[in-house]
Order: sequence, then structure tokens, then C-alpha cells
Amino acid sequence: MVRSAADRAFLPAKNLFEQVGNMMILTGKTIVATVKPPYPYGGEFISQFLFALQLCWFPLLISTVAFGFGAPGLQAANFLTLFGALDRLGGFFILASVREFAPFVTAVVVAGVAGTAITADLGARKIREELDALMVLGVDPIKNLVVPRFLSLMLITGLLNIYALLFGISGGLFAELTYGQPLGGFFATLFNNASVTDLWGSVLKTTLFGAIVAIVCSYKGMNASGGAQGVGTAVNEAVVIAFMGVFAFNYVFTQTLLATHPEISAIK
Amino acid sequence: MADEQSTDPSQDDTVIEERSQEPPPPPPPPPQVQAQAGGDQSSRDPDSAAPELGTLNKDYTIPGVDPDDTDPYRWHTGEKRDHGGEDAIEVIDLVKQFGKTRIQNGLNLGLPDNEVSMVLGPSGTGKSVLIKLIVGLLYPDAGDILVHGESVPSMTDDELFEMRKKFGLLFQDGALFGSMNIYDNTAFPLRQHTDKSEDEISEIVNRRLQEVGLAEAHYKMPNELSGGMRKRAGFARALVLDPAIVFFDEPDSGLDPVRTALLCELIREVHEENGGCYMVISHDLGTARRIADFIAVLWKGRIVESGPSEELFNSDNDFVRQFLNAEVDGPLAMD
Ligand SMILES: Nc1ncnc2c1ncn2[C@@H]1O[C@H](COP(=O)(O)OP(=O)(O)O)[C@@H](O)[C@H]1O
Ligand SMILES: [Mg+2]
Repeated sequence: MVRSAADRAFLPAKNLFEQVGNMMILTGKTIVATVKPPYPYGGEFISQFLFALQLCWFPLLISTVAFGFGAPGLQAANFLTLFGALDRLGGFFILASVREFAPFVTAVVVAGVAGTAITADLGARKIREELDALMVLGVDPIKNLVVPRFLSLMLITGLLNIYALLFGISGGLFAELTYGQPLGGFFATLFNNASVTDLWGSVLKTTLFGAIVAIVCSYKGMNASGGAQGVGTAVNEAVVIAFMGVFAFNYVFTQTLLATHPEISAIK
Repeated sequence: MADEQSTDPSQDDTVIEERSQEPPPPPPPPPQVQAQAGGDQSSRDPDSAAPELGTLNKDYTIPGVDPDDTDPYRWHTGEKRDHGGEDAIEVIDLVKQFGKTRIQNGLNLGLPDNEVSMVLGPSGTGKSVLIKLIVGLLYPDAGDILVHGESVPSMTDDELFEMRKKFGLLFQDGALFGSMNIYDNTAFPLRQHTDKSEDEISEIVNRRLQEVGLAEAHYKMPNELSGGMRKRAGFARALVLDPAIVFFDEPDSGLDPVRTALLCELIREVHEENGGCYMVISHDLGTARRIADFIAVLWKGRIVESGPSEELFNSDNDFVRQFLNAEVDGPLAMD
């Protein structure tokens, strides 16, 4: 009785660890397939890149401006007015937007928009036995389907992050304007606190977010089962696992970056 | 509960490992009437691959087997009648389990080269799973599969991809690539595996599409086709490389009787042209009578009996007779 209750509570966790292990294996296979010749995935890479860009740019624009304006913008500005230090908002945006919020919003949008599309696409192919047919025809689905998605999602997430930084910061500008502030102070503290480390850290981090989303979503798609309903379940689980993976990785990355680059912890 | 399950595959793994380290298996014994399933398994170690029936229903269930049935294999003589040739595919003591459902339970089967063989059996007995095991899409829990004498489960991924070049496979639902039209689907294996020019490809593809009556529809996408048309397109794609071993998973389901007859004709024609080992899965006795040189009847995860078709149609085995003559009375019932 106790055992079966415990089983029920912990089996999903056990299952999750098993899946994470399988995703690690898929990551290894994907990296090997990326570097080992031949390289048949060029065309698919470009079409996946354009597809993801087309899907993501508008949701990302809305999300980053609105999020930058609302969360770090208005909330922080509200707090900073207490000290009469609204010009400090620019410096805060380096901490908040460049290091955390822009990568966060980018990852959420990429996972929710492009990642789900990948899971649904691969899941439908799995259900229709297209993946089996490919393998029987001597085509490796990892090399031909997962690798281009993996590379294009890494690239697109890194690039969209830069775009998200810009729009996130413009959200901050709107917040300044809402409080009737001149923008000089915002820019002064922004550039004062900005460092190259912040920028490459942010881009590297989101590139790896893209890798996580691509692997999780491809894995879930390629392992879908149980008809059309199974594809729906796979998409749902893919988003949940991708978010967990991204947030857990973000913690590790932030800790590591702060520990290895102590100078960025000092606020100027 | 979880523990019992997890120990099972690991035991099975060791069995496979042992097999793969053996020297290459000897050539198939001179064809003769062999008693397979029943006799020689009782002398085995109970922990080995093909299990004793006594352990049934403790750890797993077999579709079609009543747990209270102490002798579910009473009709399974496993008799393999002489077909007078070599086997292209040999399946040895194959066990495949999904969770607690054991689909193949010590299956032994030989499919002759240069003949059209047919595997018949009730729905859900694992005929499609058997094909996937043979082409290496699924990995067996125990047992071995030899294709032209080479063990499929012990192949590396690269060896598998290489070996699959000699396979053609018509999936049960066609498995066409949804992003390509019929023409490109059919041309895909040629573009993948040959250096033929687009002109040569176009000639071959158009001839194959003509044969299956899809020449007019070559520009259509798979989602614009009926089930029967998808099947015929899958048929064209499976044959486009003239493979040495072809599997047809229910080529006749969803086709009208005339098209079924034409398709049977086509299978025979292509086989006469190219030779090789063709394995057809079907429920349809008409198809069996038309095209099968060799028949194997699969039930409860094992072969009931196999042999040249005319001998099987006249078998004195109750189950085989009931099945091949579609009789109401016999061992097979609705449940
Ligand atoms: N990948 C899988 N996972 C779990 N169960 C499966 C899988 N593939 C097939 N099965 C089960 O195996 C059984 C046999 O399936 P199948 O080989 O398709 O039967 P058929 O003889 O009608 O072709 C079915 O009960 C099916 O549910
Ligand atoms: Mg089937």
C-alpha cells in the first residue's frame, strides 16, 4: 500500500530521470552526427532557421517590449523613485534585462513557438511511421532531422536574444518616459554598467538554451506514441521539460558566470 | 514491481551478448521436417530466452493466450515443411515484449529465398512488429534474426544502414513522407542510394507509378490521397530499388477486390522479374491463394506451422485448417 503510493508519486520522477538520460544520449549522438561527414543537412538547416525566425519574431517583439516595460521597467522605476534615483534604471537594466530577462523571454518564446512546432512536426512523422521509413531507406533521422533543428535553434536563439535585449531596453525607455524622466541618465548608467562579458554571457547562454529546447523538443517528437492524441501529449510534455531544463541550466550558468567573473557583480 | 521488470531485460541482454560472441552461425541445416517450438525448448534452462510456459501470466501476458490455459501451444507443432531451398531470413527463439505484453514468445521462422512467402495470423499477433524486428527498427529482448546469415541484432548502426539497402518495405499505412508529393516519395530511394540522373530516375519512377495506377496523380501530396492510393504509392516506393528482400505489410487492406487482384498480379510479376525473398502479410485468403509459395501461420507469438502453400492448405492441423479455410468451428474464437 505504502509502496504503491510511493511508486505512484516517484515513478514520474524516475521516468523523468530516465528521459533526461535518453536526452543526454540524443545530445551526444546529435553532436557526433553534426561533425561526422557527410553533411546533408544544409538545406534543412536554412529552411528550419527561416521557419523559426518567421514564427518567433513577432511574439518575441511583443513579449520583450511588454515584459521590459512592465516587470523591470515600471516595477523597478516605482522602487527607484523612492530614492529619487530613476536614472539608475539603465544600470539595473544591464543586470535585469541583459543578463536574465531577455534570455528568459527568448527561451520561453523559442520553446513555446518554435520548440512546439518541432515536437508536433516530428511527432506527426513518428506516428505516420515516416521516421521508420526513413531509417529503412538508410537515412538517419538524427543527422537529417535533429541536427539541422539543433543548429538552427541554437543560432536563432542567440540572435533573437540580441533582438530581445534591444526591445527589452526599449521597454525600459518607455518606463522612464512614463515617469517623465529625461533619457540621458538611463543611457549613462546603462553604458557604465555594460560590459563585454555581459553581452557574450547573454548570447552564449541563450545559444545553449536553444540547444536544450531543440534536444528536448526533438526527443519528445521522435518518441511520441499513441496516435494524434499522443502528439498532443508529447508537445505538452516537451514544453514543460524544456522550461525546467532551461531554468535549471540558467541557475548553473549564472552562478558560474558570477563566480568566474567577479567584476560584473560590482554595480557602478 | 518495477524491480522485477528491470531485471528481465538485463537477463535478456546477456543472452543476446552471448549469441553475438559465438562464431558465425553454421549454414542452415539441410531442409527437413523439424519440430521446433515444443520439443527442444523443454530441455532449456528455465531462465533462458524462450521461457517455460509454466511461468506464463506471472510476469507477462501474451495477446490471445488465456492466463488459465495451461497448454496454449497445443496446436503449435512448429512444423516446418520442406520447401526445397535456402532460407533468406531466419528467426530464432525470438522474444519481444512491450512492458508486460509479450508479443513474440520464442518465435522460430525461416523464410525461403526466391519465393513469395506469406505470414498469416489474427490481428494483433505481432506481424508488423515481426517486420520491424527483422529490419532492425526494433531490438529483440532475446533471440536472433539472421538475414542472409548475418545477425541483425548484433549489428552496429552503420552496418544496419548498410544492410537496409537490400530491403524494401511497404508499411501498413504507406508511411509516405508528408512533405513530398508522390513522385518525390517514389524517387526518394533512388536519389538517396544511386547516382542516377534525373532523367533515369524519372523513367523508373514513372514506370513504377504507372504499374500501380498512380501516373496521373504523381504531383499529389500524401494527405490528398485515399488510404488505398497511399498504399499503392508506398508499394511503388518499396520496389523502386529492385531490392533483394521485400516486406509487404498488408498490401491489400483498404483496396477493392479488383485492385487487390491486380496488386497480387503485380507482386508476382515483379518477383518473377527480380527474384529475391518477398514476405507478404495479409489476412486475405484470396491473396494467399494467389501469390503465396510458402505460408507461415503466426498465433500467440509463435509459428503454428509453416510450409509450401498447397501443403498448408491441406494441413491436418485444426487451427491451420480453420484459419486457412475461414471456418467458424475451431480453436480460434471471437475473444
Ligand atoms: N511500439 C510499440 N509499443 C508498444 N506496443 C506495441 C508497439 N508496437 C506494437 N505494439 C503492440 O504489439 C501488438 C502487435 O502489434 P502488430 O504487430 O501491429 O499486430 P499485427 O499482427 O496486427 O500487425 C499490438 O497489441 C500492439 O499494441
Ligand atoms: Mg499490422
